[in-house]
Amino acid sequence: MRDIIRMVVVLTLICAASGLTLSVIYRVTEAPIDYQTIKFVKEPAVKKVLTGYDNDPILDRKKIVIGTDERGAPIELTIFPAKRQGETFAVAIEGRGKGFHGTIGVMVGVSKEGKLTDIGITSHSETPGIGSKVTEPTFTIQFQGLPITGELKVDGISGATYSSKGVMSAVREALGYVAKFREEMF
Amino acid sequence: MASLQAEFTKGLWKTIAPFRLVLGLCPVLAVTTSGINGMGMGLATTFVLIFSNLFVSLLRRFIPTQVRIASFIVIIASFVVIVELVMQAYFYQLFKVLGIFIPLIVVNCIILGRAEAFASKNTPIMSLADGLGIGLGFTISLFILGLIRELLGAGTLLDTPVMWASFEPFSFMLKPPGAFVALGILLAFMNLITQLQAQKGGGR
Repeated sequence: MRDIIRMVVVLTLICAASGLTLSVIYRVTEAPIDYQTIKFVKEPAVKKVLTGYDNDPILDRKKIVIGTDERGAPIELTIFPAKRQGETFAVAIEGRGKGFHGTIGVMVGVSKEGKLTDIGITSHSETPGIGSKVTEPTFTIQFQGLPITGELKVDGISGATYSSKGVMSAVREALGYVAKFREEMF
Repeated sequence: MASLQAEFTKGLWKTIAPFRLVLGLCPVLAVTTSGINGMGMGLATTFVLIFSNLFVSLLRRFIPTQVRIASFIVIIASFVVIVELVMQAYFYQLFKVLGIFIPLIVVNCIILGRAEAFASKNTPIMSLADGLGIGLGFTISLFILGLIRELLGAGTLLDTPVMWASFEPFSFMLKPPGAFVALGILLAFMNLITQLQAQKGGGR
C-alpha cells in the first residue's frame, strides 16, 4: 500500500513540476513565436494581397476580439491594414476552411469599397500536385475584384474539389468577419 | 568507477550511437539532407539528452522502480517541448525543416536508453558527462552524414556551392534510399578504420 501511494505521489509531483515549467516557457516564448509566424508565414501573403500602401501593414497590425471560446477566453483576429497617407483603404485578414486534409489558411485582402483585392494561401496540407494547385495564381486570381457580398463566382479545380471548397469557405469566413466588424477594421 | 573523461569520450568514438550501436536511425536518416539540418537535429537531441540525464540522475533515489519508465518519459517529454518552443521562437526556419522530428525526439531510443542504462545508476556529474558525450557523438554523426549527402545530392557544403560547374548533383542522395547508402558507406569506413587499428595493436 505504501508503495502505491509513493508511486502516485512521485509521478504526480514530477508531472506537476513539468507542467509548471512548460507553462512558464510557453509564456516566455509566446510573443517571439507569434512574431516568427507573422514574419515567415503571414508576411508574404499580406504583401501579396495588399498593394499601393505607404505604411507597414505588419507593424500596424491590430487585434480585435471576435468572440469567446468555450472557456470564456477571447478569440482574437489579427488585422493587417494597408494605409495611404494615414487612411486605411484595404485590410488583410485570415480565414480558415476545411480542405481535403486538415485546415487551409487563407489571407484575404478586402478594399474599403467592398471588393476582394486578392487572396493568398498561408497554410495547407493538401495533396502535393493535386490539392496544392489551389495555391497557384491561376486559381487565386479569380478572386481578384469580386464583390464581398453575394455569391463567390469562382471555378473550382477539377480533381481538387474539396481543396477548392476549403479555400472558398476560408474566404467566406474572412468575409463574414468583415461584414460583422467593418467599423473596427476601416 | 570509470573516470569522467572516459564517460565523455566513449560517446564520441567507441559507442558513437548511430554508427556503432545503429540506434536512433529514424532522425539520422530523415533529417540529414544538409549539414545544417543534421547539426540542428543533433544539437536539439543533445540538449534533451543532457538535461534528461541530469534530472533522471538527480531523482534516481526518489523515483520508485515500478514507475521509472513513466517518470523518465515525462522528464524527457518536458525537455523536448522546451526545445520545440525555443526553436520555434528563435530558429523558425530550422523548426520548419525539422518539423515532426522534433516532437519525435521523445521516442528516440538513445535518450531513454541512456536514462535507463546510465543516468538511473550513476551520479549527476557522471550522467552529465555521459549525456554530453553521447549527444555530441550523435550531433557529429548527423553533421557528417548531412555534409556527405548535401555535397553529393546538391553540390553544396553548408549552402555554398563547392563542386565544379558541370557537376550534376545526384538528387538520389537527398532521398531516403540515399540516406541508407550514405550510412552504409560510413559504417563500412568506420569498420575499416577499427580493423586497421586492431591490426596495428597486435591483432587484438
